[in-house]
Amino acid sequence: MERPDVERTSGDHGGTKAGHVVGSNMSPWRDICPYAPSAVLTASAVPLGLTAGWGAAAAVAVMAAISIVSIHRLMQRIHSLDQQRHLLEEQIVRANKLSTVDELSAGIAHEINNPLAIMAQEAQWIHHLLTNTGLRDVKEAAECEDSAAEISLQVNRCKEIVHKLLSLARQMEPVYQCIDVNGLIDNITGLVEREAVPRNIEITKTLQPDLPLVYTDPPLLRQVILNLLMNACQAVDRDGAICVATLSEDGYARISVSDSGCGIPQDILPKIFTPFFSTKPEGKGSGLGLAICRGIIERMGGHISVSSMEGASTVFTIHLPVDNRPQELPSSH
Amino acid sequence: MSSPAKLLLVDDEQRFRTTTSKLLAARGFSTATAGSGPEALEQMKENAFDVVILDVRMPEMGGVAVLAELKKLDPHVEVIIMTGYASVDTAKEIMKLGAYDFMLKPCAIDDLVEKIEAAYDRKTARKQLK
Repeated sequence: MERPDVERTSGDHGGTKAGHVVGSNMSPWRDICPYAPSAVLTASAVPLGLTAGWGAAAAVAVMAAISIVSIHRLMQRIHSLDQQRHLLEEQIVRANKLSTVDELSAGIAHEINNPLAIMAQEAQWIHHLLTNTGLRDVKEAAECEDSAAEISLQVNRCKEIVHKLLSLARQMEPVYQCIDVNGLIDNITGLVEREAVPRNIEITKTLQPDLPLVYTDPPLLRQVILNLLMNACQAVDRDGAICVATLSEDGYARISVSDSGCGIPQDILPKIFTPFFSTKPEGKGSGLGLAICRGIIERMGGHISVSSMEGASTVFTIHLPVDNRPQELPSSH
Repeated sequence: MSSPAKLLLVDDEQRFRTTTSKLLAARGFSTATAGSGPEALEQMKENAFDVVILDVRMPEMGGVAVLAELKKLDPHVEVIIMTGYASVDTAKEIMKLGAYDFMLKPCAIDDLVEKIEAAYDRKTARKQLK
């Protein structure tokens, strides 16, 4: 349909014509209201030949309509800016937390590793004395040797914990590549099956065949999925099932790992991603695995959640953005 | 069998220095010790060492600064860094300054001896090239 010309319709009708009024006063509104041209069209459709009074009334009505539309758009914009502000605030808080953890970990690593180093040397010296001097003939030598070996073992355990703590703090910036998540899962499950099959744990996969390629860091994602699968194996222990599923959902790839294990009590669930929190027996877990997983997934722009039925099952669900490349913020004009 | 390698162990933890040097002596190494960076530099001016085992975090003067000064005094001395914590940046800096290798604390004496022997072999090979 041909667009009516405002100036032409406001031509020779004596007094102040509706089209002229609207057309001549639209420019400031157009700046904030891109709908203004269509409002002008509406105004220009006012029957020609109306008196100045009617024209003015129509113009006021149109202006009111424009105001409503503009206010609505302004509200939307304010809401959108507010959301962006919240997002940036969250990112700043998270970055500060990570930076604090990083500094804290470096300090802890130094403070703990130095006394550990002394303990390790002392244990090695005891071992040396017990095996290379007359002490080896003492009746309790074997018991002393056993104690020294235990000290070395526990020192190594502490060393591992500090190492994992540093991994949590030092999580490297992801290096993004487009990957086939289903293929990655196939590879990892093949690895975990070696552990699962002898314990009669069946691993099934429900992978969406046309899952889009995901722009993410493959080794980091592999680390997370492997960790979840190993946890699932430990939860099931023997004779059970683990299922890995993928699904494309609103620009996100959803990856879930569920198991038919012992489940997690509801009061423990909120703490499950907290560093140093572990449900495993003393000495069997550092309580850092899931905290590291959450750190990795959040750094890749996704999130991880858990749901569980005690005594029945647990499901860990990861949502990863399919394309996490930085996008330009909408321009402000 | 005693090793001809002359070692200097630099660490601010007195007990670590004592026990490590005893363990090294049991493996045939003669080891001098220093409790700080400036003390290590003083010893380096007075004696020739083949391999220096150097802690990174020390009060007064950090290991990285000590390493740079040690290399000025003797560019051919081999330095093994021992640290309770090394970031990637520190490791890069250490390697740029010419350290032979670095080890994380705590470590097994066997691993340390292996690195000392390798560093000493390199020092000897360099001498033979002259």
